[in-house]
Amino acid sequence: MAWSDVVLECLKANKVQTIVHIPDTILTELIRRADEDDYFDVLSPTREEEGVGIVCGSYLGGRNGALLMQNSGLGNAANILGSLTVPYQIPMLLLISQRGELGEFNTVQVGMGQALRPTLDGLDIPHFTMEREEEVAKIMTGAIKLAFSTDRPVAVIVSPLLSGGKSL
Amino acid sequence: MINRQQLARVFVDALTDQLVVTGIGNACNDVYAAGDRALNFYMRGSMGAAVPIAFGLARARPNDRVICVEGDGSVLMNLGALATVGSYAPDNLMIVILDNSAYQITGGQPTHTAAGIDLAAVARGCGIESASRVGTLGDFETALDQILGAPGPHVLVAQVDRTLSDPKLFQPRRPALIKYRFMGRIGTLEDVRRLVWD
Repeated sequence: MAWSDVVLECLKANKVQTIVHIPDTILTELIRRADEDDYFDVLSPTREEEGVGIVCGSYLGGRNGALLMQNSGLGNAANILGSLTVPYQIPMLLLISQRGELGEFNTVQVGMGQALRPTLDGLDIPHFTMEREEEVAKIMTGAIKLAFSTDRPVAVIVSPLLSGGKSL
Repeated sequence: MINRQQLARVFVDALTDQLVVTGIGNACNDVYAAGDRALNFYMRGSMGAAVPIAFGLARARPNDRVICVEGDGSVLMNLGALATVGSYAPDNLMIVILDNSAYQITGGQPTHTAAGIDLAAVARGCGIESASRVGTLGDFETALDQILGAPGPHVLVAQVDRTLSDPKLFQPRRPALIKYRFMGRIGTLEDVRRLVWD
């Protein structure tokens, strides 16, 4: 099974029903398959910060959610994660595709790529990186459990070693 | 222009079982001062996020009606959220914008609505057909009464003055408590709902 299918299976098996996404090449297949599955409420906001707000609202209403984005989006969402999600103890899964490291061709992607983990650390958000297909299910399941059992956002990073990155 | 404290009292008096999300600053302070209730979710920061939170809540609770109360400065900070609401058109969502044309809590600097930017027209441009602007308390009451019973989404922009609620009034300051009370009241956290509180 492709890694993106395993991710969706893990979300469904753990009742993560709201999927909010900002378009991203690496996550294209995942978003497409989620859209085809009636179980998920798949929503597309205009900006990552808005996406965090939607996932928070969904959780308050009793529906667990995940936000899918590229690492550039974490910069757009840093304030709301630090001022809403963390202090209000609202759990969510952040699925972040990594750009700006191994194999990167676009200079402007490197900055947020380098800032990704320090930003998550600074916001007190635990993060785990998926590099190999065989670890996807364990990391996804474990991250979802950590988030929703202990009421905090948790990030899972999709390494270019897993995704193959984006090519020219 | 409408006295914002009078407006808040009219608003709270009109509520029944709606879920209310209030934005940062005076939107939160006014609604709290007019009458606290467990079905209110108060934001303490994250300027511009009240509309997305209310939208997410409305998606997850299709049988409840959700009302967002937000200031003009906050709406301007996250205008894209109106496009999202217009695009998905949740019929159980209503947005009340308290427009005083100022960033009042940071010193009263003018917002772009002071230059004539019309947020009701922006909302209509975003596909929210039921979007209107009122400038008297009577018109607000009439409009509120109409849209509370009608399928949304709605945007109601109220032109308000800058009368503050009593600054000495207690305000809820603990984010986690606001969350747990809200979720316990609507029953989305079973263990919190089952706790005995006194």
